[in-house]
Amino acid sequence: MNVLLAVLRKDLLIEWRSRDRLVAMLVFAVLVVVVLYFAAPPGQEETARAHVPGLLWVAWVFATVLGLGRSFALELENDALSALALAPADRGWIFLGKALANVILVTTVQALSAVAFALAFGLDLWPVAGRLACLAVLGAIGLCSLGTLFSAMAIRTSNREVMLPLLMLPLMVPVLLGAVRCTQQLVATGELPWSPLQLLLVTDGVFLIISFLGFEYVLDE
Amino acid sequence: MSMAPPPQSRWHTATAVVLAVSAVAWIWLVWNAPVDSRQGEIGKILFVHPPAALGAYLGFILTGVGGALYLWRDDERFDHLAAAAAEVGVLFAVVMLLSGPIWAKGTWGKWWSWDLRLTLTLLLFFVYVAYLLLRSFTEGSDRVARFAAIYGIAGVAVIPLNYFAIDLAAGRSIHPENLGGDSLGAGMGWPFAMGLVTATAAFAFLLVRRIELGWLRSERARREALAGARGAS
Repeated sequence: MNVLLAVLRKDLLIEWRSRDRLVAMLVFAVLVVVVLYFAAPPGQEETARAHVPGLLWVAWVFATVLGLGRSFALELENDALSALALAPADRGWIFLGKALANVILVTTVQALSAVAFALAFGLDLWPVAGRLACLAVLGAIGLCSLGTLFSAMAIRTSNREVMLPLLMLPLMVPVLLGAVRCTQQLVATGELPWSPLQLLLVTDGVFLIISFLGFEYVLDE
Repeated sequence: MSMAPPPQSRWHTATAVVLAVSAVAWIWLVWNAPVDSRQGEIGKILFVHPPAALGAYLGFILTGVGGALYLWRDDERFDHLAAAAAEVGVLFAVVMLLSGPIWAKGTWGKWWSWDLRLTLTLLLFFVYVAYLLLRSFTEGSDRVARFAAIYGIAGVAVIPLNYFAIDLAAGRSIHPENLGGDSLGAGMGWPFAMGLVTATAAFAFLLVRRIELGWLRSERARREALAGARGAS
């Protein structure tokens, strides 16, 4: 548990001092909003609004892939990854510390970019803000659990920039579909549907277990 | 310097013989199978497409199983099994993903439909293409085996999740349901069954050959490393 908190504190402190990942992810997510807005057919604002939940999650997934790509890059400097591997604790706790730091970072980007989406597409998200935040956190847990594990693998491949999205995206469909269906219904009716929420919760659980156990073998050098 | 024969070579001849016999029987049965009155000749893709799907899913499941066994027993042979199963599975998946749309265009009038089974299979194909790329972009045989094992296990674990996810999103499927006892027309049962036997035999033959290849590659790498170490000393 102490290892989890130490890794979490270290990652958040590094991010707080540099803020480079946060800024890059946020600018990227907002850029996706701008591109999608201009890609939408002109004069069909109602149709565009109906697609906002899907577009929102597409922007968040791509921003997450971008941010996770840097998650282990710093650990390569001065061979910090080997030092992490030598920590006298179950490596699953190191994973949880890194993943939790990534979830906090992604959730911050989600909150800020949701405001940009709401303004650009004329949506009033304020009445559902609390439940949308819970959904965003659940989605971020799903994205960052396997994402952190794959980031640790991709960083040690010869084609790291390409490898992470190739590894992540085909496996993120249950997270994406569960989160998009929940968000669509939440924005349209103010209610959270049970089946997609169930899918999201189960997916988060399965991904966390695989990543917690799998991280032992990723750091084993 | 001659190398010792790989342990799988005795399977090599057996699978080759079964494949040759079943392939001849399958081609003869398909050639003489009755033509479906509604679909015409294109209906004969039924004797290719489901057998290819069988090979693809066999490959994907064996990849996950091989990876899990490798992590559990730390035995290189299971990694060879997982790598071979992924490559052969992807090959069968390509046949399935090519034959399906050809049949769909002739029967449904369109190449593709984003329904449950098609989307699920396409995603699975991408997972295993990523698996093969991960293997080729990673250096060090031990690291390749560990990374690939974890990704292979994750790929298999996501199959049921993807199933529920796409079921939730896609709605009614237009893909034909699983074939029941009398859902095939008269005279179509034997060529269909022989197609499954041939696909299984082809899968086994290719799997054994690919495992042999993996074994020979790692044996060569071991000998080269040994020769290098001797040269340095």
